[in-house]
Amino acid sequence: MYILVVKSYLTGSFPRSEQLIEATRAAIRGKTSPSAAEEAFRRDLAKLIQLQTQAGLDFFVDGQLNWQDLFRPFSELFTGIQLGSLVRWFDNNTFYRKPVVVDRVRFIGTTLERYFRHRLLPPNCAKKAILPGPYTFAAMSQNIAYQSIADLVDDIAHSLRETVTQLRESGYCYFQFNEPYICFGKTTESELNMLKDALETCTKGIGEKTALQIYFGDPSSFLDAILDYPIDCVGLDFYAMSADSLSEHDFTKELGCGCIDGRNSLLESSDDLKKLVAKIEEDVDPDSIFLCPNCDLEFLPHSIAEKKLRILSEASRAIG
Amino acid sequence: MRGLEKLFPVQEIGSLPKAPWLLSYLRGKPVTQADLDHLEKWSSISGFEAKTDVLSILSEPKTFDSERRIRNLASLFALRFLESAGLDYVYDGEANRIEMYEHPIRHSQGFEFYGHVRSFDDRYYRKAACVRKVGFREAYHLSEFENVKQNARRKVKVPVTGPYTLADWSFNEYYQNRLSGRYNDLRKLKLEAKRDFILDLAKEVIRPNLLALANAGAEWIQIDEPALTTKPEEVPFFVEAFNECTSKIRCKFSIHICYSDYRRLYPQILELKNCSQLALEFANRAGSLSDAYGQLNLLNEYGDKREIGLGVADVHVDTIETPGAIRDRIGFAVKTLGDPSRIYVNPDCGLRTRTWDIAYGKLCSIFSGAELARQQMA
Repeated sequence: MYILVVKSYLTGSFPRSEQLIEATRAAIRGKTSPSAAEEAFRRDLAKLIQLQTQAGLDFFVDGQLNWQDLFRPFSELFTGIQLGSLVRWFDNNTFYRKPVVVDRVRFIGTTLERYFRHRLLPPNCAKKAILPGPYTFAAMSQNIAYQSIADLVDDIAHSLRETVTQLRESGYCYFQFNEPYICFGKTTESELNMLKDALETCTKGIGEKTALQIYFGDPSSFLDAILDYPIDCVGLDFYAMSADSLSEHDFTKELGCGCIDGRNSLLESSDDLKKLVAKIEEDVDPDSIFLCPNCDLEFLPHSIAEKKLRILSEASRAIG
Repeated sequence: MRGLEKLFPVQEIGSLPKAPWLLSYLRGKPVTQADLDHLEKWSSISGFEAKTDVLSILSEPKTFDSERRIRNLASLFALRFLESAGLDYVYDGEANRIEMYEHPIRHSQGFEFYGHVRSFDDRYYRKAACVRKVGFREAYHLSEFENVKQNARRKVKVPVTGPYTLADWSFNEYYQNRLSGRYNDLRKLKLEAKRDFILDLAKEVIRPNLLALANAGAEWIQIDEPALTTKPEEVPFFVEAFNECTSKIRCKFSIHICYSDYRRLYPQILELKNCSQLALEFANRAGSLSDAYGQLNLLNEYGDKREIGLGVADVHVDTIETPGAIRDRIGFAVKTLGDPSRIYVNPDCGLRTRTWDIAYGKLCSIFSGAELARQQMA
């Protein structure tokens, strides 16, 4: 008898606790030292590790607690990128600093450990690194250095590949690329091909698990192209697309089932999640399913994100 | 068409920074010399007549009553500030409000605040969840309006945060839970629940507030909807909600929208039944005049004959636009729309992120630029 393998993990940044928010504010105002803020970061990460341990998640993340947005660390880790103006983050009431590409993008990575905090994760846990997808990174930047976006995507992909290589040496065994932009607006065949080539560059021969996380939009019209990408798992946002549309595709990958809504505080019921997974299993029969949030949980207050993580754990145990 | 002297009336959009002496007092901190200097300087410039009343309260311990009195004085202080910059339509810089989201939510039924959510970098805002059916608790702008109306020396326009933005910036628990089980498709469930939420806010919260303001003599209410264009598929929900909350209320209504692709509003926005003006941000946009103000052409394209509130000053930078630059922006709008009588001028958005000096400089420049544009038309 076929048994569906159900695992679980987080897919993005975790919100800071009220204590950490206060500590970072105090540091900015010069009321505490930067080291006091760093201590608060470490306390938050220790709590997040504890939550992931209790939840029995299959891969651990560091919550990207000190990332100001998905691209910010890379203005330090890569050459050629400066910080631009604040721009809305998709359709959220949240903003990011638009990277401005002023020169050739190259990996330097000297501060890698500042943003990928594997040393603070438990030594024996399976570690997952979350990275911006190469196409989303390029498309959401202001490019004043490259002749074409394809050239920029290519250099970002090579730089991400070097990032992945170093992180693998640090013990990461799962690499997730976040690509929300690919379903933002009208997606063209050339964009899909560009992303495919870039993912090939990012992942070829690394010998570890990889995932493409797509959220805030509905990629069902080009899902076949996505399923042909050189990645192991496709993560989808079932609050932005219908699970019904999966039945039209031969789902040849693992599925990241984005069923915990990172953008609403309403707590999901185990029954609803069970029904969703049963439907997916019936319709597309993937090799395995990773139950996960549809996107970052940082759109929620910290206390709600903690509750959502527990629901993820309960659902995973109940279904698995 | 208006007479030439009436062309290009200058209006504010909403917020001003909170006066530093007000913040010190509300936070229970000692009033500093810098606070007193601010009070002195701007009282002198604006002709604010109640400086001694402020000083008297600043020396009192904070009580519920003293807080109410100093907030009203801060409202008058902002009113005189705007009047002295030459504006034709004024309010009080939202001096009585926490901010445009939290204030209406805290004064309505059905919401709970869970904690902070990041806006950007290390900036956060308190985001509420709708946990019960929304309802009217009180006319939360009435007292401030009566205060402004009693003291204003210019015409008054009241800014009110709209139902779409309040819904979009809140978590939707109640309405989504109510529909749970009716849809297998989570996306559809979320969308339908959002529509219910927006419409209930329009009917149960915003409309009673608008009625209270109109009954108290408000002649012009601006509905602020900065979230409107973030989800184009939801623009019809806004149109339905706007029509629901403004129907048969005898008052001029306008909407303010900013930092958006306005194309996403059309053609649905043509269905707004009681909206006389679109007050839009433009000055923040990069490039030439036609790059920045090119979307004005949408009004021509769709035969939209409403007034425009033309954003002529960028509220995100400290550089003060010259009167000549503002004249040229108005001139471009006249050329595009053809009818100068439809054009009002304003900052792109509320000025609360600028200092008082910068805000005043920008407002005075808008006033002078409008005057230059009038001369050019003469």
